[in-house]
Amino acid sequence: MSGEEEENAAELKIGDEFLKAKCLMNCEVSLILEHKFEQLQQMSDDPMNQVSQVFEKSLQYVKRFSRYKNPDAVRQVRELLSRYQLAEFELCVLGNLCPETVEEAIAMVPSIKSRGRGHDDEAIEKMLNDMSLIKKFE
Amino acid sequence: MFLKVQLNWNVVIPAENLDIKGLMLQKAILVRLLDDFSAKKATKDYGYLLAVTTLDKIGEGKVREHSGDVLFPVSFTCLSFKVFRGEVVEGVVHKILKHGVFMRCGPIENLYLSNQKMTDYEFQPAESPCFHNIKTGSRIEKDMSVRCVVIGVKYMEAQKEFQAVVGLEGDHLGPV
Repeated sequence: MSGEEEENAAELKIGDEFLKAKCLMNCEVSLILEHKFEQLQQMSDDPMNQVSQVFEKSLQYVKRFSRYKNPDAVRQVRELLSRYQLAEFELCVLGNLCPETVEEAIAMVPSIKSRGRGHDDEAIEKMLNDMSLIKKFE
Repeated sequence: MFLKVQLNWNVVIPAENLDIKGLMLQKAILVRLLDDFSAKKATKDYGYLLAVTTLDKIGEGKVREHSGDVLFPVSFTCLSFKVFRGEVVEGVVHKILKHGVFMRCGPIENLYLSNQKMTDYEFQPAESPCFHNIKTGSRIEKDMSVRCVVIGVKYMEAQKEFQAVVGLEGDHLGPV
């Protein structure tokens, strides 16, 4: 990042590369890492010994901080949020933190209100309601 | 934030291991890649390297003149983790001192929340110390999750570790 353009995720100033990068929600990462861990369990008696500390800490973290556990629900949340004009980064912060009110959503991801993308309060509220419905029927 | 990134690395297969072909060679390259990946641990740009998800392409091998080893350019996709300044994250408290609180977030071991970034919170010494919010009564204790905003991030190249400084100044931040 250059000196003048200081990094600030609240304004989506995270660098072009990350704006275009694919981000994953904790619940998505949980499914991937758990699957990998299961594969290791089948191949070895002591799977914990085979994985790095980074893997282990990450797995523990995403298991604790996944708002959605069921793979179908995880897919539905991704599909739902993808329908709104959100950057991958914004989508994932929302999917991770699951704000309950419009005010909370804007506090967590201030950039959704900017850049003239027409995210009025009604649209944001609908999105949050749909997210909590998925959780309810999970 | 967890990222899915595509990386291009060179994998070196020593000369002694080159009497294999086809799938066995591919397997040897994959094994070497996974070893290198694990050893690399983290990069400044992409954060902590978690796991390789797909092997996308193995290019043509080039023989290194002096050793006879062969270098294969490999393109692969992997998961990584890094936090950005301004990002709202959830951390788990693992140490409480009178000047602040240390939290874990993903593979980051030390997210530091200074008492100066916790308005209205007071340190309460005890066998199990905590920070107590004098206005709301809520507490920050060991093993709790706390939502905070990232103020600064530092990468320490030698240890291959990231550290971050976080704060609670903002709406909807604090113990979850």
